[in-house]
Amino acid sequence: MTKAMVLALSLFVLPAKADWQVNMTQGVTELSREIFDLHMLIFWICVVIGVAVFGVMFYSIFKHRKSKGAVAEHWHENTTVEVIWTVVPFVILISMAVPATATLINMYDTSEADVDIQVTGYQWKWRYQYLNEDIDFFSNLSTPRDEINNVQVKNSNYLLEVDKPLVIPVNKKVRFLITSNDVIHSWWVPNFAVKKDAIPGFVNESWVRVEEPGIYRGQCTELCGKEHGFMPIVVEVKSEADYARWVADQKAMKLISAGAASQNYAVADLIAKGEGVYNAACAGCHQVNGQGMPGAFPAITASAIATGPIQKHLDIVLNGKAGTAMQAFKQQLSAVDLAAVVTFQRNGLGNSVGDSIQPSAVQQ
Amino acid sequence: MATVDIDLPHVKDDDSHHHGPAKGLGRWLYTTNHKDIGSMYLIFSLCMFMIGGMMALVIRAELFQPGLQLVEPGFFNQMTTMHGLIMVFGAVMPAFVGLANWMVPLQIGAPDMALPRMNNWSFWILPFAFLILLSSLFMPGGGPNFGWTFYAPLSTTYAPDSVTFFIFGVHIMGASSIMGAINIIATILNMRAPGMTMMKLPLFVWTWLITAFLLIAVMPVLAGVVTMMLMDIHFGTSFFNAAGGGDPVLFQHIFWFFGHPEVYIMILPAFGIISEIIPTFARKRLFGYSSMVYAVASIALLSFVVWAHHMFTVGMPLVG
Repeated sequence: MTKAMVLALSLFVLPAKADWQVNMTQGVTELSREIFDLHMLIFWICVVIGVAVFGVMFYSIFKHRKSKGAVAEHWHENTTVEVIWTVVPFVILISMAVPATATLINMYDTSEADVDIQVTGYQWKWRYQYLNEDIDFFSNLSTPRDEINNVQVKNSNYLLEVDKPLVIPVNKKVRFLITSNDVIHSWWVPNFAVKKDAIPGFVNESWVRVEEPGIYRGQCTELCGKEHGFMPIVVEVKSEADYARWVADQKAMKLISAGAASQNYAVADLIAKGEGVYNAACAGCHQVNGQGMPGAFPAITASAIATGPIQKHLDIVLNGKAGTAMQAFKQQLSAVDLAAVVTFQRNGLGNSVGDSIQPSAVQQ
Repeated sequence: MATVDIDLPHVKDDDSHHHGPAKGLGRWLYTTNHKDIGSMYLIFSLCMFMIGGMMALVIRAELFQPGLQLVEPGFFNQMTTMHGLIMVFGAVMPAFVGLANWMVPLQIGAPDMALPRMNNWSFWILPFAFLILLSSLFMPGGGPNFGWTFYAPLSTTYAPDSVTFFIFGVHIMGASSIMGAINIIATILNMRAPGMTMMKLPLFVWTWLITAFLLIAVMPVLAGVVTMMLMDIHFGTSFFNAAGGGDPVLFQHIFWFFGHPEVYIMILPAFGIISEIIPTFARKRLFGYSSMVYAVASIALLSFVVWAHHMFTVGMPLVG
């Protein structure tokens, strides 16, 4: 009997132990370990209190049960006991508040940072701007749609992978200035013990000093709409030399894409390229078929904008529409991508306006 | 223990009245009987519990495996939002109001609630509030999809068109709760049997009295915050829109000034129930009755000043 029970229990416990980490992560920064230790301290205090309270309760119920012939005592006031069980929790609370406040003060100390990065939440992607370098890019989910739709086998970083990760140097104090372009998001990387809301119109600060190079992953943790679960965070922590090389590469790539924008492209090429851009940047709201979602996101097929004057169409893609979910894509996409997607929207998705626009025209 | 003989005044048989309750649906529609209304609250709460529970099943079924399984992310968010709203405002709160309707008059020796017709109204507007809320699921763009805490600007600038119906539904629920709370306070303060002093009230009655004051204090705050949303959406104000000089965090402060006492609105009557059941089955009087009354009152007061603990990641200043 007991053997069977142990076996049955182990069925639940053993695989769980192998695959899961139940406790909070210790993380890779001094601060994250401090937070972990604080968490464990308070956890053990709770365990002791829980065992004591439930112990007394279960003992009383078991020892004084009716079937044993227990007869209730009739006293029902005792000031000494009540004072003790009011004062003791008060003392425990104060003693927990002292280390908690010390950690909190440390978390809020964003002074003397080596690298400043502005993190901006968008529906549904993150933008990283390096304030002291000329680096500015968007970080989109890179998990293929087929994995999300269960057509393809999911890889081990399913929904935790992006096209361009944030890159920071190891052992440097990096300050994040966190804000948002539309709704409230929250930037969370468990290994850094950083979770800070990105609020439109406000800038929140946070910081990290990572001790080990590596790739660390996180997610948006404030419900921000339909694709809230599809805007992960990936941070690549590089050694100082690798980081310097990466910064130089970013600047070189910027020159290359500037060259690409000055060329002329065939309309068919623009449409073909535009479809890919559309599916990555627009289909989240306007849907892959261009029908949108009535009541929430307008259709592109047969819309007044996508079949009207091309300059007006381009303008709304570049600058967005204030007061709606339509973002400004001027900063998000290259001139080539912008020209391609506008051309595609006018000549695909059931539209056939017939005109097109070149990257060089977008740049003006 | 000495037995106490109570001389009840002789109740004359009231044979001259043979009206009785109306028949059929009218019996429930026109009733002012606290037990009938209590039963309707409890049945309503059970129905809402089932509907909200089915939404929870949709949520869990979708999450059973990674990848999109049964529903689209947009609909998933509508399920989580509606599940939260229905469980809080449709299941838990009406269940306790139903219990209060049943038990408070019995426990304090009152013939009925103090305001029986308002009692009828405060129940009968509830089904309409939830019909409006649930109907938004079938509107273009879908129902509320911004979480039961409906943080702006996701619930204003970026909300589906049906958000206006959500706001109207919340207004009606709030009106129902306030009427219920006024009724309970009026009953407890005015209709106690002779000799039933305040410090003799059963604990369930005490906890509900304090809960009712919480309701009257915070439901108007909730009504205020959804009205501000309505203004932002339809009348060009910018309470929660930073681009217009407003403050999205203001929404969270107002919401949680309602939301934290709301936690106690949902737990205090349960404390009262426990404090009735345990003494009954332990066969002895409740230990520390008066301290318990003061403790419940203190919890209620403290609940007004601790809402910031729902907002740790918002970036509030360390000091001040």
